Amino acid sequence: MGFDCDGEGREEDGMASVWEVSINGLTVKTAEVEAKLDEVNIQEAESSLREGLSLNYEEARALLGRLEYQRGNVESAFRVFDGIDLQAAIQRLQPTFSEKPASRRNRSRTESIHQVSQHAASLVLEAIYLKSMSLQRLGKATEAAQECRSVLDAVEKIFQHGIPDVLAEQKLQETVSKAVEVLPELWKQAGRHQEALASYRHALLSQWNLDEECCARIQKRFAVFLLYGGVEASSPSLAAQVEGSFIPKSNLEEAILLLMILLRKWYLGKTEWDPSVMEHLTFALSLCGQTSVLGRHFEEVMPGIYPRCERWYSLALCYSGAGQNRSALNLLRKYLNRHESPNDVMALLMAAKICSEDCLLASEGAEYARRAIANAQIGDEHLKSVGLRFLGTCLRKQAKIASSDHERTHLQAEALKSLDEAVVLDCNNPDLIFDLSLEYAEQRNTNGALWYAKEFIDATGGSISKGWRLLALVLSAQQRYLEAEFVTDAALDETSKWEQGPLLRIKAKMKVARLLPTDAVEAYRFLLALVQAQRKAFGSSKNSTQVKDDKISEFEVWQGLVNLYSSLSHWKDAEVCLEKARALKPYSAAILQIEGSMYEARGETKDALAAYTNALSMDLDHVPCKVSIGSLLAEKSSKSLPVARSFLSDALRLEPTNRLAWYYLGLVHRDDGRPADAADCFLAASMLEESDPVESFSSIS
Amino acid sequence: MSSDIAPSESTTFWQSIHQAQATMHSLSLILGPLPDPLTFSENPTTSLLHDANISHDIKSHLHHPDSGSGDDNLCRWLYDTFQSTNPGLQLVVLNFLPTIIKVYLSRAISQKSLAGFEAVLLALYAHETVIRGGEPQTVILPNLTNPSVYHEAKTPTKSKAVDLNIAVLCPALEPFGTVRSTKRARIIGVALELYYNNLHDMPLSSKLEFCEFCVDWAGYNQSLEEEKQSNPKTDASCADQQGEMIQVKGGEDEHGKKGRRIPLPWELFQPILRIVAHCLLGNSNSEELKEAALVAAQCLHLRALHDMNPQAILASRSLLRLAKMPGDTIFKPHVVNDSSDLAASQLASKD
Repeated sequence: MGFDCDGEGREEDGMASVWEVSINGLTVKTAEVEAKLDEVNIQEAESSLREGLSLNYEEARALLGRLEYQRGNVESAFRVFDGIDLQAAIQRLQPTFSEKPASRRNRSRTESIHQVSQHAASLVLEAIYLKSMSLQRLGKATEAAQECRSVLDAVEKIFQHGIPDVLAEQKLQETVSKAVEVLPELWKQAGRHQEALASYRHALLSQWNLDEECCARIQKRFAVFLLYGGVEASSPSLAAQVEGSFIPKSNLEEAILLLMILLRKWYLGKTEWDPSVMEHLTFALSLCGQTSVLGRHFEEVMPGIYPRCERWYSLALCYSGAGQNRSALNLLRKYLNRHESPNDVMALLMAAKICSEDCLLASEGAEYARRAIANAQIGDEHLKSVGLRFLGTCLRKQAKIASSDHERTHLQAEALKSLDEAVVLDCNNPDLIFDLSLEYAEQRNTNGALWYAKEFIDATGGSISKGWRLLALVLSAQQRYLEAEFVTDAALDETSKWEQGPLLRIKAKMKVARLLPTDAVEAYRFLLALVQAQRKAFGSSKNSTQVKDDKISEFEVWQGLVNLYSSLSHWKDAEVCLEKARALKPYSAAILQIEGSMYEARGETKDALAAYTNALSMDLDHVPCKVSIGSLLAEKSSKSLPVARSFLSDALRLEPTNRLAWYYLGLVHRDDGRPADAADCFLAASMLEESDPVESFSSIS
Repeated sequence: MSSDIAPSESTTFWQSIHQAQATMHSLSLILGPLPDPLTFSENPTTSLLHDANISHDIKSHLHHPDSGSGDDNLCRWLYDTFQSTNPGLQLVVLNFLPTIIKVYLSRAISQKSLAGFEAVLLALYAHETVIRGGEPQTVILPNLTNPSVYHEAKTPTKSKAVDLNIAVLCPALEPFGTVRSTKRARIIGVALELYYNNLHDMPLSSKLEFCEFCVDWAGYNQSLEEEKQSNPKTDASCADQQGEMIQVKGGEDEHGKKGRRIPLPWELFQPILRIVAHCLLGNSNSEELKEAALVAAQCLHLRALHDMNPQAILASRSLLRLAKMPGDTIFKPHVVNDSSDLAASQLASKD
């Protein structure tokens, strides 16, 4: 069956220029056939084709249908196609193809057989494909998909060992490629998502001899489908697995794999650049928090695709998301250079935020924030409040390392002012309310702090743990320990076991402040049990990210206990706890300082001083140590008063709210005969004592 | 739904029908008699899922000022329906998840008892916890130097340990008996992940509502409006429609319940963004949904900028960029190209 002509004379596509259909060496003018079709006389048109081109019934119909389809008469095309028994035609094609080329010697003979049959196959398969497309255009997606699948089934039957590269005829390959590409889309249109999924995988995992662009299109569509389709896919079957190869296990994994492959194809110059691929990958990788991997892909993108500024900004976002703030800041500095785009509000805000986390960068950050505010007025009014917020936090950080009192108070006032301005613009922003509360607290305006802390709890419905902690500390600063404990207990109720650490620590310190040592020991014991359980449960790094923020180190607990026992003069217990702490951190200034204070309490001043000096050599800026040395020297003799004073002043420079330092400095002034200065210092000390929280406010943020 | 069901399957089939009918009966005790077509439906679960009137009734019940308390019958019905372990009926409950979350979050700040809502949310959370078996959800990022099912690598590294990058999508879930306020976002986030996994089966109205709620949660619709007014040059094509939509919403807000922005930690932002992405870029035919999703994505992007969360900025920015890119046109021009060889020549011949 099939064609009975010689191999050379077939030029099926030759009609493009002369509007003729030429098959089997014969030619028919399309206009003539069309005239018959216009008269809605399919039979006549068909018979004229059969006679004119010596075709069999199916082939003539297939040709006719294509003619109709291409004229846009979808419905009549469908009628024509529907009249053909395509399955029969396929069956007839099969046997010829099952004859595999037996040996190289008679290859030429088999080749010609292949070509002949391929041509017939091409015509028939195209007819089914076009029938499917007609159905699609008629809105019958399910039937269209079924027809389309039958094309592929047929191809698989005919070419049982995949389509041979060299042998495939161009027209046939085109039809196959189209069918492979269209099938999943048809299933999607029909709402049959599992079939769509299967056909995507079938398209990509079987041998269809697709060209790179076509394959890339399918891969991209599949990735999009996996990312946004809302259908959970099972992982690809094991049959497709090659040993040692990576098999994606979820939608996201599979989509990311496909997108990475697509990018690589582009790097290798196999496909055209498609900007959407990068965006899809950005979305997918950001969702799983892998912005460092994303950053690498942004770096790999060839020059000329993204303007350099955009690339810097994207990279800065990636690095910052991965916690590499320094690299992000360096990129933003390039970006905000006056020769690039110095007034980009987004980048300015980003830079300000990064700087606001580091005292040493705070002044740079304040500058960025000011520029952001100035530029936000033009277009992005709503971002002004963000700028003001970061300006406030930067100034607060800057105030911490200010070299003079005057500068510090100025910066603190400025910080408060910009936060106040921000909250006027964006009164519903809980983060802003929290920052304000913290700022007031650090400036020891406990009433203001309390008001905003309550506001924050209300605004967030108590859903954010640091809000509870701040409220408890502010209350403790007002010496309202009972209320503070109520808040802590309420917060403990609202917090799951693993995250109770910081609250338990506050609770223990609260008990210490209320002079309830037994309760305090009990609270510390709870805390210790929690910390040790945490270490056991999350011993490996597996879940470390989950509890990182709220994790209390065991060291802290022992340290707290040492302080507690030594304040009670329970030296033995204190020693035991000290050893435990020392075992965890052998070279810690804090431990040596506590040890020193224990010597001091027992009257062993020399050993105490030695311990303090050792501690200072480990950490030059250890404030409690400086205070201890200062106090020790002040008591020792009048000769050492100037040295004591310098130690205490130094401590106050580092931590202006240290009430003990103020107190001892007052003593020094008194003993040195400066009663007015002494009075000032004592006043400061007493005021600070009245507003001293059980634990520094900076432990929260 | 196949008509010929094997005997063993048919018993379960009838069981599920009975279950659905019992569920509908108990619903009728709360809402009053249900419409006949629903009661006598051949496939009651699907009808229940897609019946607009019933959905409307249930939603208005959920919005009622006294809803969500511990003795709220509707919440109990939702809880029992979800616990039935009938997948079809569970979808019915998930259908109302956006509304439940919306109402719950707007009231979580007040001191009211919301035990009814919390019971439903905890049921969803517990279901997902059991499915995951206490394991964190992870994504293994492929290393293209090793071969995969979709590509071949030139030098397969045999001896070296495969260098894999594992990302944690969602950490391991602890079982919770109550909703602690600091865990509220986690519980709702996980419930939304369950919703996300069943998105394909959710009715359009549910998704539409979800997108509208996102705008409230993000809390920057006002700024968006201002921005559109101040610089009209930004894609004028769809700006008009969005402006209208937001203005309409603004009008509603003035009347009564004003949508309040909520804290959006990543554990909540991430599932929300995934759902919005599906509405925006998924295979939906509804232009209305796409528009609503676009507005939601814009608001979420603004929120990400305000919170300065790099991950959120990157993800939402990509969504907005993708929404602007031309959609897939496989069917439209393909047909034209296809016929070009002949049709074009025909046109030429007729000239």
